[in-house]
Amino acid sequence: MASWIEPAFEFLFKYRPFLFQKGRFVMAPPWPAAIVLLVGAVAVVISYRKARGGSGPGPRLTLAVLRTAALALVLFCLCRPALVLSTVVPQQSFLGVLVDDSQSMRIADDGETRGQVAARSFGPEAPLLRALADRYKLRLFRFSETAERLPSTTELTFDGGRTSLAHALERASQELSSVPLAGLVLVTDGADNADADVADLLPRLRARAVPVFTVGLGRERFAKDVELTRVDVPASVLKGTSVTAEVRVAQRGLGGQKVQLQVEDAGRVLQTQEVTLPADGESAAARVHLTASEAGPRTFRFRIAPQPGEPIAENNQQDVPIEVVDRREKILYLEGEPRFELKFLRRAVADDKNLQVVCLQRTSQNKFLRLDVDDADELAGGFPKTREELFKYRGLILGSVEAGFFTGDQLRMIAEFVSQRGGGLLTLGGRHSFAEGGYGPTPLAEVLPVVFEEGRDPKQPFFAEMKVEPTPFGMTHGVTQLAATEEKSAERWKSLPPLSTLNPIRRTKPGAVSLLLGRGEGLPGAQVVLAYQRYGAGKALAFTTDDSWLWQMHADIPLEDMTHENLWRQLLRWLVSGVPGPVTVSVSSPRTAPGSAVTILATVTDATYLKVNDAQVVAHVKDPSGAERALPLEWTVGKDGEYGARFTPPDKGAYEVRVEAARAGQTLGRETAQVQAADLATEYFGAEMRRPLLERIAEETGGRFYTPQTVSALAEDVKYGGGGATVQETKPLWDMPALFLAIVALVSVEWAYRKSRGLA
Amino acid sequence: MTTALLRVSVGSALIAVLLQRPEAVAQGSGQASQFDRRYLRPDGTAPDEHPEFYFTRAAYTGYWSRNWAIDYPKADRQLMTGVRRLLTHLDASPDEHPVRLDDPDLNRFPFLYAVEVGRMALTEPEVAGLRRYLQAGGFLVVDDFWGTREWANFESEIRQVLPGCTIVDLPRDHPVFSAFYDIKEFYQVPNVGNAQTGRTWEKDGFVPYYRGIFDDKGRLIVAINHNTDLGDAWEWAEVPEYPLKYSTFAYEMAVNLIVYSMSH
Repeated sequence: MASWIEPAFEFLFKYRPFLFQKGRFVMAPPWPAAIVLLVGAVAVVISYRKARGGSGPGPRLTLAVLRTAALALVLFCLCRPALVLSTVVPQQSFLGVLVDDSQSMRIADDGETRGQVAARSFGPEAPLLRALADRYKLRLFRFSETAERLPSTTELTFDGGRTSLAHALERASQELSSVPLAGLVLVTDGADNADADVADLLPRLRARAVPVFTVGLGRERFAKDVELTRVDVPASVLKGTSVTAEVRVAQRGLGGQKVQLQVEDAGRVLQTQEVTLPADGESAAARVHLTASEAGPRTFRFRIAPQPGEPIAENNQQDVPIEVVDRREKILYLEGEPRFELKFLRRAVADDKNLQVVCLQRTSQNKFLRLDVDDADELAGGFPKTREELFKYRGLILGSVEAGFFTGDQLRMIAEFVSQRGGGLLTLGGRHSFAEGGYGPTPLAEVLPVVFEEGRDPKQPFFAEMKVEPTPFGMTHGVTQLAATEEKSAERWKSLPPLSTLNPIRRTKPGAVSLLLGRGEGLPGAQVVLAYQRYGAGKALAFTTDDSWLWQMHADIPLEDMTHENLWRQLLRWLVSGVPGPVTVSVSSPRTAPGSAVTILATVTDATYLKVNDAQVVAHVKDPSGAERALPLEWTVGKDGEYGARFTPPDKGAYEVRVEAARAGQTLGRETAQVQAADLATEYFGAEMRRPLLERIAEETGGRFYTPQTVSALAEDVKYGGGGATVQETKPLWDMPALFLAIVALVSVEWAYRKSRGLA
Repeated sequence: MTTALLRVSVGSALIAVLLQRPEAVAQGSGQASQFDRRYLRPDGTAPDEHPEFYFTRAAYTGYWSRNWAIDYPKADRQLMTGVRRLLTHLDASPDEHPVRLDDPDLNRFPFLYAVEVGRMALTEPEVAGLRRYLQAGGFLVVDDFWGTREWANFESEIRQVLPGCTIVDLPRDHPVFSAFYDIKEFYQVPNVGNAQTGRTWEKDGFVPYYRGIFDDKGRLIVAINHNTDLGDAWEWAEVPEYPLKYSTFAYEMAVNLIVYSMSH
């Protein structure tokens, strides 16, 4: 509302709009006077109708209306209009004043910190606070994550790591629940960054007649600011894996400028990428490719250097914890015939210490070659026949092997390998793959991300050469990155020799994503070369060529070129990334402030990946000093196989949470997560004043929103908030200047009209 | 299927070879110059199918004009007929498939067979082509060269291709000898003429050697059959006088080498 509107309203209508909002309108009509005036009005109309003279019906009607309106206003005044308000009884009601004590109050929007601005109104000597103290029994609180009593606002430190308006209001209203409470005054920038939703609390406050008066501090919109609003990386990756980080950069006042996004690991710069910011106010999305080369709990720092004129630099960086695991992931590769693709795939990943590709290659009827098995028993009976046997692998590659090779149970088991176990399935092109392998009517047709060609006899051989190129999504995806930058990667793709396909596939399923396409003269349209989709808990990939080994052997490929090796390493690492073990563990806040509670959740399954509710689950929490303590996890009951516990890291540092699950003395599995306890810069993210939220809190509880410029009215407004010990107060409205001005105006107009018509 | 049963299959496959493709075997005579295109593919056409595996024969320059084409194309065709029956799931071309060492297309065929390498006299482009082929991941089998002089020639040629390489005897437990058949007995396979006399050696090559060259990552890239002639055993398996044990052994070796080259 413009600043002049409220004083003008008050001049005309005697009271401020807030009182009209809070009050109840009443009238006490004096009936005899009313009847007299009504008769008078009727007489006026009749007399005007009968009046003789030079005036016609039009002027007579006009004069009658003007006179009747003036009389009606007089009648309205005689009816004693009034506002009835519930008014707080002075010094009998309590008022809670909650002042934000979080770090965001240190932000200096216009040369003065938000804390200093708050002190002007709520400091011990501030006139407003004294005015409030004169009328109410004040209870001061400071709040960040929760609220606590405060003897004096001089003791505010503004070092809270998080802000939870919901917890603060809940805590203060509970503490004051046994006294007549006139309301709560919330002095804050509204930068709520806690998980609790304030929307749940508001109806309860309203029901308890606790109006909340919100005082918003800070700028609603910074003139210039860059903020890393979001950084998404997997919580856990295999050592040496190329990780794609999705970064969102918000900005104000820097549209069109270029900034450098840098990623560091323990001070070492891993990657620097230029980001062009979009139009002012819009966010930029960037993808950064990193390699997690060192095992263990790592913290990647994403940073954009502070830009000139930025009020806060703390929101230009984010620290992201990531668990780099150094284990060997097992992938089963079933190949239905001797193929060079198998040989060269094995060569490509042979040096990768974190991948074990166990091969089962059918060479003749019922004769298999087993490669890279752990022992003589592994796969001795051929392709796994039980879930337990199959589900111990994290990835499954199906080469050129016809659907008829499997039993119905095995086909269903493969589908469940993806959907229930959460494994990664990769199907390769070949003369016995996809529709040509008879997979159309099998459960795998649903699992695969591609749609088989309709109207083509899959028994008819197909062959086409194609030049492979990445899709726009593939250009930025980590798996199909062939060079350090996207530009160089695109050049590399263009230079690769063509491959062939024996499986015409042109469409992907809804929800599937294509990364590579192939184009060639023998193809009716663009061939889907590499696509994937999520299926249940896992993912399914289709790689529809049968001779990717040409990217290793072809005469145009330099010997030192690592395209083939890198592509297969990236592909297989991606295949098994995020594939769970029998036990998974997650923490609610991988980075948290010391003293903030963290929830540990573990999901426990058996060797067949069925959820287990009767396991003994223990988290061994190792603190930064190396001391370890055991923390039992309890079944949450709400979800099968889910166990939980809370712990609070007391000090700064890295906490390792190793969860072990056992049943009947037999270990089911173990998994590790990490929690970094550190000073967080959470308060500097989304630090603009959130006026809509504060207005909503005030509106839904019957309070009012103020800025530092309008807060002087607070002391008076609390009086009419309706909370605490109240009495009914009637405020007459008959003497509103607006009424008198209206009567004078009507009479004046009538007189002027008469004059102009010669009737006066 | 047990190895013994498979061995029986080798014999029956050999018989089938000869009943099935007499017209194919009949072709292959009447060659002109060393690298005449018609000579490289007697029918003068490219294959119109796209099988996974070609039995690719190295067409190289030798001291004699027809070094590389000894036993060609009959041995190739008979071998592939047998292999296709033994490796039932191998998608293999039944035809001979010679490629020059200096042809960039050589790299499309990761299995390569070279015969009579004792009389090899590679040109620079051939040396470069074969080097690139082997370093990129190709697999070479050399066969049918005898005695000290031919060994010396081959060694000299292969050291041009792979300078500094080490040639080692393959241990009998090397995976190549169990890739499909579990081969326990190793023979000196004689040429067809000697086989009928009971003699197995030629020149001073009295002892057969099955050797190999490994790359710097320990991968077998060249399999060397010295003082033995698998090619003749493939070519003359149908001759009643040619002893079956040699043909069986030669076919088993071929199958193992093919399976190994497609998996290792």
